[in-house]
Amino acid sequence: MGVALVVGTKKGAAVLKSDGNRKDWSTDFVLRGWPVTASVRDSTGRYYAAVANDVYGPAIFVSDDLKEWKQLEAAPRYKPGEKGSPGHIRIVGASDFMGRYKDEPRLVDQIWALHATKDAVYAGVSEAGLFVTRDRGQSWEPVDGFNNQPGRDQWEPGFGGLCAHTILSDPGNPNRMWVGVSSSGFFRTDDGGKTWSEKSAGVNTDLGICVHHVTHDPAKPDVLFRQDHRGVYRSDDAGDTWVVTETGLPCGELSDGHKCSFGFAIAMDRKTHSLFIAPLDSDNFRLPHDGQLAIYKSTDDAKNWQQRKDGLPSQCFSGVLRGAMSVDQLDPGGVYFGTSSGQVFASNNVGESWAEVASGLPRIMSVEAYAT
Amino acid sequence: MIRVQVPPVLRAVTGGARTLEADGTTVREVFEDIAKKHPALGLHLFDERSGIRRNIICVHRDTVVRPDEMAERKVDQGEELVLANAFAGG
Repeated sequence: MGVALVVGTKKGAAVLKSDGNRKDWSTDFVLRGWPVTASVRDSTGRYYAAVANDVYGPAIFVSDDLKEWKQLEAAPRYKPGEKGSPGHIRIVGASDFMGRYKDEPRLVDQIWALHATKDAVYAGVSEAGLFVTRDRGQSWEPVDGFNNQPGRDQWEPGFGGLCAHTILSDPGNPNRMWVGVSSSGFFRTDDGGKTWSEKSAGVNTDLGICVHHVTHDPAKPDVLFRQDHRGVYRSDDAGDTWVVTETGLPCGELSDGHKCSFGFAIAMDRKTHSLFIAPLDSDNFRLPHDGQLAIYKSTDDAKNWQQRKDGLPSQCFSGVLRGAMSVDQLDPGGVYFGTSSGQVFASNNVGESWAEVASGLPRIMSVEAYAT
Repeated sequence: MIRVQVPPVLRAVTGGARTLEADGTTVREVFEDIAKKHPALGLHLFDERSGIRRNIICVHRDTVVRPDEMAERKVDQGEELVLANAFAGG
């Protein structure tokens, strides 16, 4: 058993491969020139990589061997005539604060998340929406119940635009899914996507709802762990209620004075139920605390956290984005993350110690680990 | 037949082809024919509203043609278009 990492960067994807020891890694670089924003492997073994070029827009490439990639002829796209969010268009256009875009259409400009279930692949996109394929990417259908839900016109974008970036599912209950949208909420459906409700009770929402990433064990799907803009939270009831769970985590001061553990990435090793996050020093700085790149690990379902920095640099001034941490789910679990300055770190001992396995890459936007 | 030169990043979509051939009497019609013959490439030329993406340009008879001019710009048989992206960055 080996491992392959698909490291999505601003200018292509690094594919790192290793054997079961996960010490020596080979590197290939594919999809040159395409920002690679997410990847997934479906139940048939096909790999999908989402790309989003600033000029030529988003698309999805597929591969059966991580070497040869072919672009799909279909991609998530809104229906003509759907009204866009002026706030999102203002941010992705990096201009136009005069409201000129208020009558613009809703367009897909980036695919932020890909999520595979037993018989489908879901795509979370910006401008925020959810799409699904049930034919290995040959066609993509909008999940209208999500994309046009009541209140959708009130959604506000975050710093990266109005994006659906987190998708979770319940393998035992195909009617239940969760989708996180920055900065508008964490939504759950219990009827197969027809209706959705926002789930942030107990989360500090003084300045709005800004979920950053959520993880869980599909075998215990209703226990959720949430890295939010305003701290780290746990829910034991599928998201109905949340409690702060930051004991042992470094806390910084947000722009409004709220103190919490800010960050983006959160991941879980399912065999040991170990959790991993990469705290950053508040939304003002978005840098590792005191320059020490560190992963914080919990082995008791987020009740307590411990710093793990063995092998990580003490002078690091880059962050870890929400999609840039992954676990291979082998035994012992391998944990991987990439930084916004192009370094990839790997742990082959469930996050106890780390080694740099790639550097000099462009800004890293996504990391997914696949047992091969 | 019009020849269209494809920029390097899009050659990942054309199987490495540097040029494509298409029919049409305007730049937009040529792009529409490309999208019909090469649907994967069409995703990169047109957005959901069937508009040509904002930052695409093409060079025709040594002049730059912008998206809002492409439906009007006439092309003659045997001519060449260079598909490109607008300058961005410093």
